[in-house]
Amino acid sequence: MRKYLTLFFLIPPAILSQSTSFDFHSPENIKKFADYLFCEGDYLRAIEQYELVNEKLDNDTTKFKVMLGYSALGLYNESNEIFKGINDKSIFYPDANFLSFKNQLISEPGMINAPSIHSFNSFQLESFSKLTNISMLYEDKFNISRENFIAPFDAEELNQVSTFYDYKVEPPHKSPALAGTLSAIIPGSGKMYVGEWGDGITSLLVTSLFAFLAYDNFRADNTTRAWVFTGLGAFFYAGNIYGSVASAQIFNARIGFEFNNGLELFLKQQNYFLPEYDFCN
Amino acid sequence: MISVIKIFFAFLFVWIGTVTLVAQNLFDDQFNYARQLYNEGKYFDAVTEFKRLLFFNESKSYDYEANFFIGLSYKFGAKYSDAVRYFTLAEINYSTSDELFQTRTEIIKVNILRRTTHRALTLLDSLATDERFFNKMDEINYWRGWTYIFLDDWENASFSFSAIKANHQLAVFCDSLDNDLYSPQLAKILSIVPGAGQFYTGEYISGLISIGWNVLWGYLTINAFMEDRVFDGLMVGTLLWWRFYSGNIQNAEKFALEKNLEKTNSALRYLQNNYIGKKP
Repeated sequence: MRKYLTLFFLIPPAILSQSTSFDFHSPENIKKFADYLFCEGDYLRAIEQYELVNEKLDNDTTKFKVMLGYSALGLYNESNEIFKGINDKSIFYPDANFLSFKNQLISEPGMINAPSIHSFNSFQLESFSKLTNISMLYEDKFNISRENFIAPFDAEELNQVSTFYDYKVEPPHKSPALAGTLSAIIPGSGKMYVGEWGDGITSLLVTSLFAFLAYDNFRADNTTRAWVFTGLGAFFYAGNIYGSVASAQIFNARIGFEFNNGLELFLKQQNYFLPEYDFCN
Repeated sequence: MISVIKIFFAFLFVWIGTVTLVAQNLFDDQFNYARQLYNEGKYFDAVTEFKRLLFFNESKSYDYEANFFIGLSYKFGAKYSDAVRYFTLAEINYSTSDELFQTRTEIIKVNILRRTTHRALTLLDSLATDERFFNKMDEINYWRGWTYIFLDDWENASFSFSAIKANHQLAVFCDSLDNDLYSPQLAKILSIVPGAGQFYTGEYISGLISIGWNVLWGYLTINAFMEDRVFDGLMVGTLLWWRFYSGNIQNAEKFALEKNLEKTNSALRYLQNNYIGKKP
């Protein structure tokens, strides 16, 4: 009986002391809370909490998670700043290194010139080759053979990657000079060359109509009206040449824009060849 | 012996009660701290502290309040999707019908603010048909009125506010604005006479220019037909006169819509800055 009594009286004070000593802001609890926020996808708060305990609970897992968080928030430079503090002996170093390439590619699109590191495993090495090759597409100078370019990619990626390659080697641009010249010879034909058939036919009809009206009025000695239509005809003719040149330039800009958009979408779909990290299960 | 056991259980009860109270006090303190941050307008930090409370409080005793205040904080930070998510979590944890009504109206207000007004109307309809809230019809009508304001339907807004009180301040305001708005349809019809639509919307110079162009191209067209230059007449008539005539109609409609937008924006600004009653 005495034993039970002692137990009954000792347990509550033990619990009490635990409860009263519970500290929401102890480093361990802050880290637990930060892990929860990270898994919730609330990266901004998770980073804030991790940074509160970084000095006390310094570990590379936390740093890598902060790096991932910044990258997910689109703060690529901040993410790469964290990378600088990750020890190259850490098991996360190769992943962090690869993530830094992704950040670099998004924040400053251009070729990745860094060499691969010896601690990359075979998957990371393959992903690195893919990302490096894709990054070449952002450069103006592009001289790599098709075989070498597509070599690292899997069968399901080949089709898309080949399209990017062809696009880069032979972009389907339209010549603004040719569009202008064609429209000068036959009004509207420059627009048709760019693919704007409706505008091209309208230009041809309107310019021809004003030319005819000018001719018809000169013939009927209605000089004033004839000059009005000549002026309008000349205005439309000049506009048609200018419009064709502008259309070709817009077409080329759109091609470039669509190419970059397509590339970005492809990289996003492939998650920049990064693996999925699961810190929550 | 019996009295010893009684004393033992009495002590046990007191001890456990104290332990529970102390633990509860910790969460109360955390809740009050988060509330204080919220009251000070530090919404980011308030959300962090409410989330911390939710994470550590395994008894779930603050699940309604904390989620509700997280929702409010996100709302003030214009993070509307997050706000709806947390109001919904609060709604799951409601204990009284008042709490349920409060979370639902907050969700409606967020929908008003993010202009998903049709969703807001659907939610208002579901509140109006719920017998638990038959005594809250005035508030339902009040938010319905605000929804119509953001839908740019001032007539229905006035109707909803009038359902609360015949001469409700907002009903009068909506009515007066609705009467003040131009009718784009009337502007178009008036423009059958070139320039009249522009005059109706107060754009006199534009109206005069429209009259001028239509008189010029009309004269040239009619003149061409009078002189038996049918082709010229057809060309000038279709390419120039018709173009300017239809442009005059479109122009009048555009002016009416633009002027209405100015008036409604200024009304919304007035309500935002000067109206003292409840706002979304």
